[in-house]
Parts: sequence; structure tokens; C-alpha cells
Amino acid sequence: MSWLQRLLSRKQLESDLDKELRFHFETQVADKIRSGIPENEARRLARLEFGGIDQIKENCRERRGTLWFESFLQDVGYGLRQLRKAPGFTFTAVLTLALGIGANAAIFTLVNAVLLRNLPVVDPKSLVRLGDRADCCQNSGPKSDGSYSMFSTQTYEQLKRTTPEFEELAAMQAGFENRAVVVRRDGSQEAAKPRMGEFISGNYFGMFGLQPAKGRLISDSDDVAGATPVAAMSFATWKNVYGENDSVVGATFWMNTKPVTVIGVAPEGFYGDRMSSTPPDFYLPIATMPDEMGGKGMRDPTQNWLDLIGRVKPGVAVVPLQQKLSAELKRIYAPDPHFSAADIAKVHLVLTAGGAGTQSMQENYASNLKLLMWIAGLVLMIACANIANLLLVRGMQRKAEMSVRTALGAMRTRIVRQLLTESLLLAGIGGLAALAVSYGGARMLLMLAFPGDQHLPISSRPSIEVLGFAVCVALITGVLFGVAPSFIGAKAPPADALRNGTRATAGGASLLQRGLVVLQAALSVVLLVGAGLFSQSLGKLQHTDMKLESKNRYILHINAQAAGYKDQQVNALYRTLEERFHEIPGVVKVGVSTFTPMEGNDDGYGVHLVGQPGIQTSATNIIVNAEYFDSVGTHVLMGRGITAHDTATSPHVAVVNEDFVKALFKPGESPIGHRFSAGDEPAQPYEIVGVVEGTSYTDVRRNGKRPMYFGPLTQPSEAGYAGAIVVETSHPMSDMESTARRTLMEINSNLAIQKFETFDAQIASRFTHERMLSTLMKLFGGLALLLATVGLYGVTSYTVARRTSEIGIRMALGADRTGVVAMILRSALLQTLFGLVIGIPVAFYGVTLVKSQLYELTTVSSDALLMAVAMLLAAACVAGVIPARGAASVDPVRALRSE
Amino acid sequence: MSREALQVQQGSLYPALHRLEYKKLLVAKWQPTETGREAKYYELTARGRAYLKDETENWKRLTDVVGLILKGTVEGIS
Repeated sequence: MSWLQRLLSRKQLESDLDKELRFHFETQVADKIRSGIPENEARRLARLEFGGIDQIKENCRERRGTLWFESFLQDVGYGLRQLRKAPGFTFTAVLTLALGIGANAAIFTLVNAVLLRNLPVVDPKSLVRLGDRADCCQNSGPKSDGSYSMFSTQTYEQLKRTTPEFEELAAMQAGFENRAVVVRRDGSQEAAKPRMGEFISGNYFGMFGLQPAKGRLISDSDDVAGATPVAAMSFATWKNVYGENDSVVGATFWMNTKPVTVIGVAPEGFYGDRMSSTPPDFYLPIATMPDEMGGKGMRDPTQNWLDLIGRVKPGVAVVPLQQKLSAELKRIYAPDPHFSAADIAKVHLVLTAGGAGTQSMQENYASNLKLLMWIAGLVLMIACANIANLLLVRGMQRKAEMSVRTALGAMRTRIVRQLLTESLLLAGIGGLAALAVSYGGARMLLMLAFPGDQHLPISSRPSIEVLGFAVCVALITGVLFGVAPSFIGAKAPPADALRNGTRATAGGASLLQRGLVVLQAALSVVLLVGAGLFSQSLGKLQHTDMKLESKNRYILHINAQAAGYKDQQVNALYRTLEERFHEIPGVVKVGVSTFTPMEGNDDGYGVHLVGQPGIQTSATNIIVNAEYFDSVGTHVLMGRGITAHDTATSPHVAVVNEDFVKALFKPGESPIGHRFSAGDEPAQPYEIVGVVEGTSYTDVRRNGKRPMYFGPLTQPSEAGYAGAIVVETSHPMSDMESTARRTLMEINSNLAIQKFETFDAQIASRFTHERMLSTLMKLFGGLALLLATVGLYGVTSYTVARRTSEIGIRMALGADRTGVVAMILRSALLQTLFGLVIGIPVAFYGVTLVKSQLYELTTVSSDALLMAVAMLLAAACVAGVIPARGAASVDPVRALRSE
Repeated sequence: MSREALQVQQGSLYPALHRLEYKKLLVAKWQPTETGREAKYYELTARGRAYLKDETENWKRLTDVVGLILKGTVEGIS
């Protein structure tokens, strides 16, 4: 009979045992009677010879080896009954665990996905990235610190030729805001849609070691000038847009009006070479870029636009390779006239781990996520303190029960084991609930961090390690504080414990309990102050004067290049756009430009004043039409704005912003009439004709720091084609998007809307980070406050329960209700005050650590502090008043009799 | 039983029997006795027999050695 069979056939075994022993006993008795001993005496003798039947039975049961398991099952059953009997305690404990663990698991899930995860490629450890910065999207010229992370096509090819240390060195397009291609499947009736396309070198997929899910992937033979234009599709696009239809492979797609054959589908799970909320839909060979994108740039040896990642051969050391690459880079840049000797001396290249790709998102979110991890840790601490407190209180309450059980003969180990089982059960249930919380929490975090992005390659499934860690913490807390009081309790002689009963006066709760409550209060203050500061910071950011008007403004983006327009055709297009949009009823102003305020992107060039040597500042260039400044609400401060009279044939002019004036002119000096040149090839210098306000274009933090100059749309400039249209209307128009789409279709069916947003939405999306932080801080602060309140309530009500008879006596002797309430409340508030005394300095210290993430706040503001203190005190009052009122409504006679 | 030299209670036989049964050294079956009641009969298995043989030999060796030592000691004392 196996162990399991013995466990399952317990009933049968019991009856067999009984039968067997009884048979033996009865036979003995019968023998004795037969030899003439009277039955009574025979039975007594037989029992003496045989030994105690129940003892023997217990011995036999032990031999089965199943006893420990049976008692474990008993413990579990008993534990569950106990938990059910105290629903308030169980609910609070489970909720505390679920929130504490769940919040942690959710945050760690994101940290894991964003900061720690490698690309889903072969052997990510042997990948190396050239450069250490996530620059976007295209730049040129020397860097002030000499460290390069983006390269031109020519530089890439040169480096690839001279470094046999790499098994493969692949290149990929750096920026992703610029990666939209307009795509329409051949033969389909649908309108052309903007999709993400990334230009890559032919060895890109080979370097990553990827196999196609369908068809084939791009190879070196596709990446040569004159090759048939091809593309590989991402698995997500194949699945979501084309329903995993096999006919996609080999089909022709019109990309930016050029025919391209899709040759295959990238493997499932591959989201490109970086974590991004806009992963590529199509991968295209670099060599076909001039054809598909048109315009200037990508073959230009001075234009850096590629990120490089390589797979090093086994045994290659990083440091010598880095030196070799830096030397090579110096040699490449040396003949470039833009580089001075000093610039060349500084040129160097830093190799970084390439396993996680180019990591721009990691850089953006690292500091936020680290902060959130700290905060989640604090919340977990508070939760653990709460659990500890609840279990301590419960343990003390059950002292009498334990004493009775000890008195009835239960072994101490058995009692401790039973309490242990109960704690484990509680932690187990809490852990399960935490699983749900962490899943929901991670989803919520994703939505907060990346609103409106369905394509983000991050799963909200919590990772095993994370949950394991959190559950371990919960288990340790539960076991430690669930069993400790019973150990202490079980030591006392049961008679003493029983005699002591419930008579207790002041000091009902132990120092440990009070200490835990103080700790919770202190941590809550820290988190509440943090929440207050972050929401203040967000408020300040959002209410900064961005020097623009966003009411009733809509912004849409098009790509004229992608629609097939050439240099000599765009001016006509701009005119048509202005005319057609003005024909829409309700439209007041139509602005056309390269970039719009708070769009988060710009294009900088070196600027120097005519008559003064050298580059004097870097400034952003935007080309605009006549109505642009009015359409975005930028006011002209001096001179004039751009007008309809500035045409291709009129003098070359520019309007500059106040920061430009501040950077290049002495205070009080009028810039009007001065001339400056910018970039590489100014056909003629600009003449400054006006000054406008310093409207925020990328980040309000940069307000007042970014020099800008605005040229007329129709005059030659450094900027490419204008792609932004700002429409100001006289009243809100909810159907603006469809109206705009119709209008564009009428002009040219290849003009697709790449992005449509209200001006307000565009501005709001610049604060996603800050809003996420502020929302999460509020959530965590609230959570901490809730947990601390529960903790304080638990301790106070425990005290009240312990002091019921004392309160009865006081009231019998004439104490009034208010006196009793005040007495209870005083002790609750005292603990909170202690918490404040500890927490406030910690909060001040904490702020110095997160200063960099706050806007215009360097220390704890009095508002945030007052708010936090007020909230905590209010919570303490609530947590104190409920049990205190209960105490005051005690009937003295009943209280005295309750012993 | 063992000439009453060992004062063991009869009941303590059963835990031992059960243990041997779980170790598959004994098999047990219920059979009717002459009086018609059912009784549990134990029997050595092949493994049990081999085990018994081994242990008996071990015991013999042990007692032989102990006897030898005692013999030497007794001679030394006298």
C-alpha cells in the first residue's frame, strides 16, 4: 500500500485497525475465561497485558507516515474557518497585501520590460552599440563634447569595411518621428495610410540572427543602388492589419507613391531595434531611400542619421575596439571643413551594450521608473507594517484561546504550527489577490505612460521574479508577526494567562505596535508631500505662459514629399492648401509651417551675424506662411511678422524670437535690419524684419532659452517641406478631422493625414510623463494614507477593547463621554504626531533626491506640507474617533461585568 | 512468548507489524478463523525472508563479537 493510498483510504485503515486489535483482545479474554477466570477479571488482565488500546492505535497511525499531512489539512481547514470567522481582519489583511504587493509587482513589471529586457534576438549579449546617446533624428557637424552616436551612410560603410572585429555591423534609421511612409496596397480601394517605415542596412536581420515568419527577410543584395525596391513587414502589422493573409508576401504596395514588393514577414515578437510606442510596420533597405523618400539628405556624407549596432566576434575586447573605432572616426572627419583641429582632437566613440537596442525609451523613463520603484517599496513597507500590526493584535487577542488549548494538552509546536499555517494561508490569499492587482496595475501604468498607444511591445503580464520577491516579503512579514506573539504567549504558564483575563489599563498596545503605527504615519507623510509636490510641479508646467493660443485650433500633419511633390511644386501646394482650407465655413486662420508649438520636434542650425566671425548660436529654423503667427497665437513684439508680400522673388527676410535677440544682441540694441546667415548654404543672408514672443516649441522647461528664426514659406531655406497645418476656427468643430481629410483628398488623393490633434491635445501630450508621475504619486500617497489609517484604527480599537473594563470603571466613577473620547483620541494623535516629527525631515531629504524631476520646485513647499499634514491628521482623527466613540458608548455596568 | 523474559505489552506488536507491512516485508490478509470470525494473518514476503536472513546473520555476528569481548573481559577480571 503506497503512501498516497494510505492517505486516501484512512477510513478503511481505521476500521481494520479496530477490528484487528479487538480480535486480539477478545481472543485473549476468551482464553482467560476458558481457563476459569471470571469475565471482569479476565478483561482487566487482558487490558493490562495488551496495553492502552488508544495509545497503540495512535502508534499504528504514526507508522502510516501520513499523520503530519492529515494534521496539516486539519490546520488548513481550521485556519480557513478562523479567517472566515474574522471577516474584517481577513479582508483588511488581504487587501493590504494585495495592494502592497500588487503595486510593487506592477511597477517592477514595467521596469523589467522597459529597462532590463533585451531584444528578442539571438545572443543579445554579443551585440554592441556604437555611441551612448539616443539622438534624434538627423544632425550634422561637430559635437561640442566630441562623442558621436549617429553616423552618415558613408561613415557607416567606412567603419564596416575597416572593422573585421565585427561579425556583422548593421545600420538603422535613428529617428522615429520622421519614419512615416504613406502606404496603400496595390489594387485595394482603401485610402493611403501613414505607417511606420524604418530604413535598415541589408545585414540588419542577419546581424540579429532572425528568421522570417513568412517569405524572406531583407538581405545585402536588396541594399544596393538600383535593386528592386522591397520591404519586410513586421509580424504585428501582418497580423493586425492584414489578418495574417499569406497573399501579402509578394504583393506590391505603394509606398510614398512608389511601388515596393513585400518579400516577407519578420518573426513574431520582434519589435525593431528599440523599445518604442511606434514600432516599425515596414523595414526598407537604405539604398532604396532616395527613391522612396525623395528630397535631399540621405546620401549626403555630412548628414548623420544612422544608429549602428554590431555583433562582435567571440573574444574581441571592447576597449581596444573602441579605441580603433575612435581613431577611424577621427580619420573620416579630418578632411571635413566643418571640423576644426580642436573638434577633431575631441572626436571619440563610446561602445555600449547593444542587447537592448538603441534604448531611447530607457533613457526617457529610467529616472521616473526608478523613483516609482522607491515609492512602491515604501508602500510595501507600510503594507508590511500594517500586516504585522494586524497579526500582533490578533495574536494578543487569542492569548486566552491559546492558553486554553495549552491547558487541554496541546503541544506548543502544534500550536505554533497551526498559527504558521494560518499566516501562510493569509499570505497565500493575499498573493493571489496581488496577482490580479498587479496585472490591472501594470495595464493602468501603461495607459498612463503611453496614452493611446496600442502598439507598444510591452506586456502587462507580471514577471515571475517580481511576484516571487513580493510574495516572499509578505510571507516573511506574516510568519514573523503571526507566530512571534504565540511563541511569547505559549511560554507563559497557561494558568497565569487565564487568570490575567482581560483586566488591563493604560498601555494596552505594545511599544512595537505603536512603533509600527508611527513608522506608517511617517512614511505616509513622505509620500503625501511627494504627491503634493509632483502635482504642484505639473500644475506649474501646465500653467507656464507658453505664449500661444490653443482655443479652437486644430493641427494636422501631411507629408508632401511622400505624396510625390517636387521642389518646384510645393509652393503651389501651399497656396492651394491656404485657399481650400479657407473655403471651409467657420475657418478663421490657416497657418502652414514645418513645426508647430509644443510639438516636441525642431531643426537646429548654426547662426552667425553678418560681419562677425564664427558661429554664434544654434537656433531653430521654422518656415511659415503669412497667417501662421496669428493661427498659433504668437504676438509680434517689434517690426512685422511674415506677410503675403514675402515671396520667392522678394528680399530674403526672417522674423526672430525674443530669445534669439537675447542671445545675439546687446540689451536695448534693435535687431531690425541686421543680417545673419544660417546653416550651410544660404543662398543669401536673412534680413531681420521683426521680433516675436518666445513661444514654447519643444518643452516649457526650455522657455526663454531657445533662439528661433522664422522664414517665409516660399523663400529658400534650410528647412524641408512644410507639413503642419494649423486651422483656427470661430467655434469648436468636432468634425474637423473628416472635413480636413475630404479637403486634402480633393487636392490630391495621395495627401494623407499623418496626424490630427487639437492644439490642446498636442500640448497635453507633452506632459504625459509629468501627468503619469503626478497621478501615480497621488495614487501611492492615497494608498499609504489608507493603509496608515487602517493601521492606526487597528491599534486604537485594540487598545479600546483591552481597556473596556477600565473605561467602565472610569465612567462609573463619573467620567463623561467627551473625556473618554478625548483620552482615546489623544493617544491616536500622539502617534501620528510622532510620525510627523520623523516624516517631515525625511520628506525634506527626499525632495533633494528628486529635485531634478520637479519643475521650479527645489524644496518642500509649504502648500504641499500643510496639505500632507492636514490629510494625515484628518485620517488619524477618523481612525481614532470610531473606536473612541465605541468606547464612550460602553455601558459601565456591562463593561464591569464583561470580565 | 520469549519465556516472559521480555516484559513487552502485547499491543506494541501491532505498530511494528504495520511498519513491516508498509515496508513490504510482510503481507497481510483477512481470513476466517475456526470460530468463524475474521482475523488478520501476516506472512513473510520473499523480501521479508531475505531481510530476516540478513538481520539474523548480523545479529549473530554482533552477539559473537560481544561474546568474545565479554569472554576476554571476564577472564581479565578474574
